[in-house]
Amino acid sequence: MKRVNLRWLYAALPLAGAVEMVAAIGFGHAAPGPDDYERLVPELASVYREGDLVVVTPRWAEPHVRHAAGDPFFPLRAIARSDDASFPRVVEISLRGARSDAFEGYREVDHREVGNLELFVLENPAPERVVFDFVEALEPGWASAGGTDPPTTCPWNPRAEIMTGGLGGHPGFPRARFVCPDSPYLNVSATVIADQSFLPRRCIWAHPTKRGARVVRYSGVPLGDRIEGHGGMYWMIERERKGAPVTLEVRVDGETVGSVVHEDGDGWKPFSFPLEERAGRPSATVEFFVSSPDYRDRHFCFQADTR
Amino acid sequence: MSDRARIGFDVRRWETWPHAWKEWALRVLAMAIGVGVVGVLLATSRDLGYARDEGFYFHAARRYAEWFSLLADDRAAAIRRGAVDAHFVTNHEHPAFVKSLFALSHLADRRFHLFDEPGTAFRFPAMVLAGVMAMVTFLWGARRIGVAAGIVASLSLVFMPRVFYNAHLACFDVPITALFISTFYAYDRTLETSGIRWPVTTGVIFGLALNTKHNSWFLPIALSAHAMALALVAWRTKTSVRGAVRRPIAALIAMASIGPLVFVLGWPWLWFDTWARFKEYASFHLNHEYYNMEFLGQNYWEPPMPRLYAPVMTLATVPFVTLACAAVGLWVRGRDAVKGLRERDEDWQSRHGTTLLWVMGVLVSYGAWTSPNTPIFGGTKHWMNAYPFLALLAGAGLARAAGALREELELRGISRLPTAVAPICAALAIGSPVVQALRAHPWGLSAYTPIVGGAPGAASLGLNRTFWGYTTGSLVDYLNREVPKNGRVYPHDTAAPAWDMLQADGRLRKDIVAVWSADEADIALYHHEMHMQGQEYQAWVAFGTVQPDIVRGLDGVPVIWAYKRQSLATSGQSQKK
Repeated sequence: MKRVNLRWLYAALPLAGAVEMVAAIGFGHAAPGPDDYERLVPELASVYREGDLVVVTPRWAEPHVRHAAGDPFFPLRAIARSDDASFPRVVEISLRGARSDAFEGYREVDHREVGNLELFVLENPAPERVVFDFVEALEPGWASAGGTDPPTTCPWNPRAEIMTGGLGGHPGFPRARFVCPDSPYLNVSATVIADQSFLPRRCIWAHPTKRGARVVRYSGVPLGDRIEGHGGMYWMIERERKGAPVTLEVRVDGETVGSVVHEDGDGWKPFSFPLEERAGRPSATVEFFVSSPDYRDRHFCFQADTR
Repeated sequence: MSDRARIGFDVRRWETWPHAWKEWALRVLAMAIGVGVVGVLLATSRDLGYARDEGFYFHAARRYAEWFSLLADDRAAAIRRGAVDAHFVTNHEHPAFVKSLFALSHLADRRFHLFDEPGTAFRFPAMVLAGVMAMVTFLWGARRIGVAAGIVASLSLVFMPRVFYNAHLACFDVPITALFISTFYAYDRTLETSGIRWPVTTGVIFGLALNTKHNSWFLPIALSAHAMALALVAWRTKTSVRGAVRRPIAALIAMASIGPLVFVLGWPWLWFDTWARFKEYASFHLNHEYYNMEFLGQNYWEPPMPRLYAPVMTLATVPFVTLACAAVGLWVRGRDAVKGLRERDEDWQSRHGTTLLWVMGVLVSYGAWTSPNTPIFGGTKHWMNAYPFLALLAGAGLARAAGALREELELRGISRLPTAVAPICAALAIGSPVVQALRAHPWGLSAYTPIVGGAPGAASLGLNRTFWGYTTGSLVDYLNREVPKNGRVYPHDTAAPAWDMLQADGRLRKDIVAVWSADEADIALYHHEMHMQGQEYQAWVAFGTVQPDIVRGLDGVPVIWAYKRQSLATSGQSQKK
């Protein structure tokens, strides 16, 4: 048999250069361009229903879709959600066939292709009905805020000065918020934090007070079977793992239904408190007590609903 | 057949040229490469915004420039402790040599108006050192392998996309890479020559390297190890151990004696309280703060750091063809070296000593990143010193490949094609890095090779997309158009002096005011980094929108985007023409 001359393998080196050059140019043109995203918008509008969750896979392309489609498709309660379970439908925008694992088991009800993009409409087989969303209801009609020691109230200011912490600083405090005594930090407001995984979390900023507890009180709340939610702090605050624990206690009509202790490093920590005999009440008073033995740098934020 | 003849990679009839002609030809070619590199960097500098650290060095260089002016006017006053400390206390965690060059270039530009932009004046010395790096790489490759191999090594190095990006900056990373390889080169020249010229040169360059960045501390380790290895080889090959180490020791003595002198004399901060200040400098870098870096979807900010970081990032950012050629170069030259050792080749040092030196250069540059305690926040620039050696090995590998292919063609009696083999191989080896570097510009830190799917693949893998806040430079046209008169912009990670330089250059309107939180801004910028995402969420809350007004990046991957205050967005108030 004739012996193969391995020296010809050396040709693979310059050929590798040629292949790599072509691949570099190819990858550069493979991703969708601005026109693709613009063409996606009418398709998205035609399938989107109020209450849908729009996701982009991979997530890194999401800014392009937000830029093209805008706020109506990305309400904060959806983009900075804590879980997907309450959304009856998901519109998944996919680049180059990438799909999210989070929606396995969802039923595909529509599929469209727009240039390099695909759009899937998925139905949640068992959506959880949120009876009352405490973050969305953080306004004087439903909510009030105060402290226990000394007893204080935090007046609602719809025109407070917006505050953001800048590089390494605190999350944004929106214009409309409950303004509490002593420090701008000690307000109660609906904000968005970056949790320990840097994901956006829409939540109620409730920095504990020096003594006693910060209280966020809701009246006339229709109850589901349970109150559940999450609590955590901005990643940079949690990562040192040197801060005091923060306790979140939930009371319904004056009775404690559960409490959760957040230790630094816990991340966006879930909680779920069954309401038992209180379940299904058409109107209840729900109070959230946030406290810590050392209130310094406790940038606590929580999300809760009853479902 | 000699190695040089076999590789078939030299200029036609090169072997017959007189030695002096060859020397001059190499120098002219080296100069052409160096000047060409500087020219390309100058031509592409305007597209590139200013990195965070550049801003700090601009500030330091201006203080140095004041001191140089004082030195020119009143030497006695300038060298007094008060004057020295007042000017050199700024940024004294880094040595002075390169910042002094920035300062002198800045002064020259002020006097002679040499550059279009003041920022380029500061950047120019580092660009020149990038040219020096390319020249030395070429010269070393040309002398040891062949002219075309030298060219391949040199251009493969400069057009590694991350090196190309860093080569523009008024920072220390490319300068220390230039001085690192220059010290190695001078040491190698010491070994093949007699007299004191090259040992002294080695010592002086080492001193400049010490006075540039702390990576230089690895130089004595690498070169001492090389000297010891040569002693062992001499023992093995039964040649004179003393003869083998005589020249290396001459270079090492020069490094030990001249190096510290150049270091201290060139850094006025060390003229007073020398030992205490040196300890402070060393301690800063030995106990460096940890910053954040994303790697495979995780944010690392404290030990243990991932040991795979350096190899994976090298694979993901250095063009594959360069790595493949370097692997072949290492294999063929390593195999020859081992064979020589087995056969007790008496000429082992002259045949293989340089290869050993290149391998040492790679190992010592990567060594620190095998420890989980070594920070990784600077990405690939940490081990950039290894890249010239990788490029030289790549030149060696490609030369061997071209030589073998030419021989095969000649054996088959194909008479015309063999002469074209070397240029074709060289063009294909250089083409990919050139295309990748130029396509990625000015998004150099977002550049990833096809092996990980380019920038989109890297984003999906969770590799860092950018850092240092330099991509504000890629939005200046947008800002100039959209920001209302005297409007305010939150530049996020762009440092104030880097922002100021964009305005001094005339790239950014001077009436636009930088503010340091989104709540004060009309437009808030966001440079994407994993751990920075809270900055974007601040803008959402401050502006009441999640819709960026503009998104820009590399190959469809968002790198920087901007939010506009809703009142501006709805009123259409801007500088639109």
